[in-house]
Amino acid sequence: MQQHRELTERQINTQLLNGALATPAWWKWAVIGLGLIVLAGFSTFGYMVNRGLGVTGLGRPVFWGVFITTFVFWVGISHAGIMISAILRLTQAEWRRPVTRAAELLTVFSLITALTFPVIHAGRPWRIIYWILPYDFSRGVWPNVRSPLIWDPAAIGTYLTGSTLFLYVALLPDLGNLRDRTTGFKHGLYTLLALGWRGNSRQWRLQTTAGILLSALMLPIFVSVHSIVSWDFAVTPAVEGWHSTIFAPYFVIGAVHSGVSAVVTMMALMRWLWKWDNFIRPEHFDALARLLIVVGTAWFAFTLVEILYSLYSLEGQELAFRDMQIFQWPWALLFVIFLITAFFIPVPAWLFKRVRNSIPLMFWTSISVNIGMWLERFLIIVPALSRKQPFVYVWGSYHPSLVELTLILWSLAFVGMNMLLFARFFPLIPLFEQKESQAFSSRVQIGRASVPAVLREREQE
Amino acid sequence: MASHISTAPDHRPTFQESASQLIARGRTSAPASPARLWIVVLSAVTLVGVVGVAGRLAGGFADRSAWGYYAAVVSFLLSTAGAAPMVSIAPTLARASWVRPVTRVSQLFAAVGVVTALLYIPLVFALPPLVEDGVRRRSIWFGAPSLTPHLWGTISVLGLVFIGLALLWSSSIPDLKAVAETATGLRRRIAGRLSMGFIGTDTQWKALRMRIGVLGAFYFLFLVFTHIVFSADFAVALVAGWKDAIFPMYHAMTSLQSGLASTIVAAYFIRRFGRLERYIELDQFWAMSKLLFATSLLWFYFFFSAFIVFWYGRTGSDQAVIDILIGGPYRWAFIATFLLSFVIPLFSLMWNPVRHSIKGPTIIGSLILTGMLIDRIRIYAAAWSAEGINDRYLRFVPATHWPDPWDVFVIVGAIGAAALAFLLATRLVPAVSLWEIQYMRLLTRPVRFLKGHAFIIAKPD
Amino acid sequence: MARKSILGLYETPDAGANALDGLHAAGVEAHETEVMTGTPYPEGAFGEHVPQHRLFRFPAFGALFGFTLALLYTAGTQLAWPLVTGGKPILAVPAMLIILYEFTMLNAVIFTVVGIIFESRLPNLFTKAPYDRRISEGMVGVVVSCEENRAAEVEAVLRRAGALEIKSA
Repeated sequence: MQQHRELTERQINTQLLNGALATPAWWKWAVIGLGLIVLAGFSTFGYMVNRGLGVTGLGRPVFWGVFITTFVFWVGISHAGIMISAILRLTQAEWRRPVTRAAELLTVFSLITALTFPVIHAGRPWRIIYWILPYDFSRGVWPNVRSPLIWDPAAIGTYLTGSTLFLYVALLPDLGNLRDRTTGFKHGLYTLLALGWRGNSRQWRLQTTAGILLSALMLPIFVSVHSIVSWDFAVTPAVEGWHSTIFAPYFVIGAVHSGVSAVVTMMALMRWLWKWDNFIRPEHFDALARLLIVVGTAWFAFTLVEILYSLYSLEGQELAFRDMQIFQWPWALLFVIFLITAFFIPVPAWLFKRVRNSIPLMFWTSISVNIGMWLERFLIIVPALSRKQPFVYVWGSYHPSLVELTLILWSLAFVGMNMLLFARFFPLIPLFEQKESQAFSSRVQIGRASVPAVLREREQE
Repeated sequence: MASHISTAPDHRPTFQESASQLIARGRTSAPASPARLWIVVLSAVTLVGVVGVAGRLAGGFADRSAWGYYAAVVSFLLSTAGAAPMVSIAPTLARASWVRPVTRVSQLFAAVGVVTALLYIPLVFALPPLVEDGVRRRSIWFGAPSLTPHLWGTISVLGLVFIGLALLWSSSIPDLKAVAETATGLRRRIAGRLSMGFIGTDTQWKALRMRIGVLGAFYFLFLVFTHIVFSADFAVALVAGWKDAIFPMYHAMTSLQSGLASTIVAAYFIRRFGRLERYIELDQFWAMSKLLFATSLLWFYFFFSAFIVFWYGRTGSDQAVIDILIGGPYRWAFIATFLLSFVIPLFSLMWNPVRHSIKGPTIIGSLILTGMLIDRIRIYAAAWSAEGINDRYLRFVPATHWPDPWDVFVIVGAIGAAALAFLLATRLVPAVSLWEIQYMRLLTRPVRFLKGHAFIIAKPD
Repeated sequence: MARKSILGLYETPDAGANALDGLHAAGVEAHETEVMTGTPYPEGAFGEHVPQHRLFRFPAFGALFGFTLALLYTAGTQLAWPLVTGGKPILAVPAMLIILYEFTMLNAVIFTVVGIIFESRLPNLFTKAPYDRRISEGMVGVVVSCEENRAAEVEAVLRRAGALEIKSA
């Protein structure tokens, strides 16, 4: 499994800083292309604000549609960062090293994108400040902290702040490296950002401690974020299929499934675009695929339990909703596509070593997962609202409009463009992690066999 | 990089020392005299339990509420001893070397499964059929035949016990061979038979490890299945209107916490009375205490995920569930569980000096086990005393059902019988696995890195 | 007497470790030396002084601060606008718990990061201590802070250990 290649520190610097210190030819065109889509998205948003929410497909009783689906989707993608960075750091999994920063970055940009969707969805977003900010704007109206809609920004804001700070702290050694490799304005910028990093024992010790401590602090936040987002739906008894106690862990495990798959997609692109074959190797995809088998299977089990208990009480309304969601057109088609893309194609495929070690196959199966997971959120939200029982006088259907589809595309381009912009200035793979990996790797003679080994420091008290 | 690594003095027991200390005649668990005394004491306690069971049986099955504490005890054993083997399975699958000295300790709890299975038998007769007086109550079995819960419950419990014993036996084969070579009399004959002609060829080792891996995976699947079936049929289905999709997961998750606590407590006593301090060291308790901290946090997470949905939803059935299980007649039990299973572990294990000790996790583990017993009493005593099993939701919250003398006998006797089964198992099977210790010694060794001290851990593919 | 900082640059970690041995033998105290590397080596690998820190106080204080802030926010807003919503009590503890938890964790993280930067003795933008950019390319830097009258002796020790270059400030 271990396909290690020894490189000198200088070689590591050169290869991993090829994006930050020199602009690859394709980079400009990629950013321009994605930038045009982003611009189109902003224009579409402006058009929607000008014309009103009527230009979307939203209407009675389906008031939550593609915008909220995509909001939940991006919150889910954001769970990759901490899963890989924190959990694998705490369990000292060596194979995490090339992936951590990109995963953390994906978390940050996914969360920023996710946060834009409730703002877009509000239609007149400037009014949000009246019920979010803790200030008595008029008539003694204060934020309703009993509402899940207030819990959401608290959780996502905490996760975003924590992830950004985590990213920055882990970036300090590489900022010092960039400071040493540049001159002029860039040198000044990196000097400022590096805060005077020298790489002495004290600073390295604190980097290690920081990694463990921040990982331990971020993990509970990571679990809480998507749980709180799930409670937007689960606490509501008025909508069939929503009022279920399993939503919190179900959403979290689904987020890990989609987030880690997104990281696989991203890793494949990084290896291809920046020619990082030395650093992102088939063994990393193999390890991620094994993790995904466990996570994907657990997610599928949760899906089955959720459906089982939804039917458990044998209430007519709930049974009718499930019948519509699973067996009636067009939901039945979407349901089948969802199951096939999220589980029945990728997970059995990953059982084969040949697939796990094939980067193109891992790329396409990871994309398949995220198509399925987007559909999962859509199938939770929209059909349930379509035949919401009490307090409505009409059952309606919902068709996303071109405005909504453009904004979904915008979100994908927005995340991609930001990742590329980041890569232009900062290394996507932590240099010091790669160097540490080499310093800590060795081989051990057991009889006639030479076995790969890793060094572990004596644990601190 | 390997040139900076040099050998360091290794003060760990040698192969020969380990063999003589772990396998020597009469040293399979503890010096002979105290063990015999404990066997006598625990046998007497078990007899008390037998009297309790007889008394309960004499009362018949008509009054379901009388069987609440009995069901709680069976659930308690499933949730502690039943889950303990997971401590050996999960870290071994993750290739963690710290777990090797305690894998056998956790696997020995499979012997307690025999007690669980025996206690389960009367409970099957106490469980009401799905159809009573022509009315079918809600269950996860929907339209299946009326005795379905009894069938699947039996299959799950007996299957779990069987697989656990198979796992214990498989992993003990090399050590049983060593016991057969050094012991005399009946122990020699039994060990010889059970070692199945193992002589340590390459093929036999490969087959052994494959068997352990497969049995471990099956054990995990069966554990989840057992918890789903047992919690759904013996608790949820007995309370009208209690629809709780997360409850089986809560049941399983809390059992992992208790299984870990059981292993920690058992490891402490084995270390102390078996004079095995050189094998079960501080590192094992430190690693397990981190897992204990994580599982304690998860206890609260799974509890709160259900609670917030019921509390916020405030439908009739939601309110009733909160009343019967949390805020009503079993409030005392809930508070005790909350403190013992969450608050005390959280605020003590968050401090490294507590985690990095031997007595700290042991004391916390004991408190968690107490909290688990009270928690199961809260759930099962409440569920078995609820009336109106076929109603839409619970209309009358029953008063607290206090234990009668037979219940107390059963509780005390069951714990005594569990301890007795564990102790008897250690008389045959070494409590610390010799081959795992030797394997760990092969794969890890202390080294010097330049002027510092570290460990090198081989990672064979 | 004025103090001087002297940097010795070494090509290999072994040479750096030997330099430190030489300095200790010459009577230089551990706290007067600093080893700089571009890679995190195991603690004590160079025989250097392992620094102690008090980082763990920062998240503890931050958590307490965040908890207090959240308690004021949630209790304050609910009491300021005491409107019963959904049949829940005015001070709805389960709902408050969520915001209390998030604010506690947020401030624990923020204070931890502040602590990391502080304990790392950063920002340190205007330091006069010597540094060499080749350290982030794999070289090992050993910096000694000593009195001026000892500078020549220290430089000699560093050279004997195989320093590629000596810098001082």
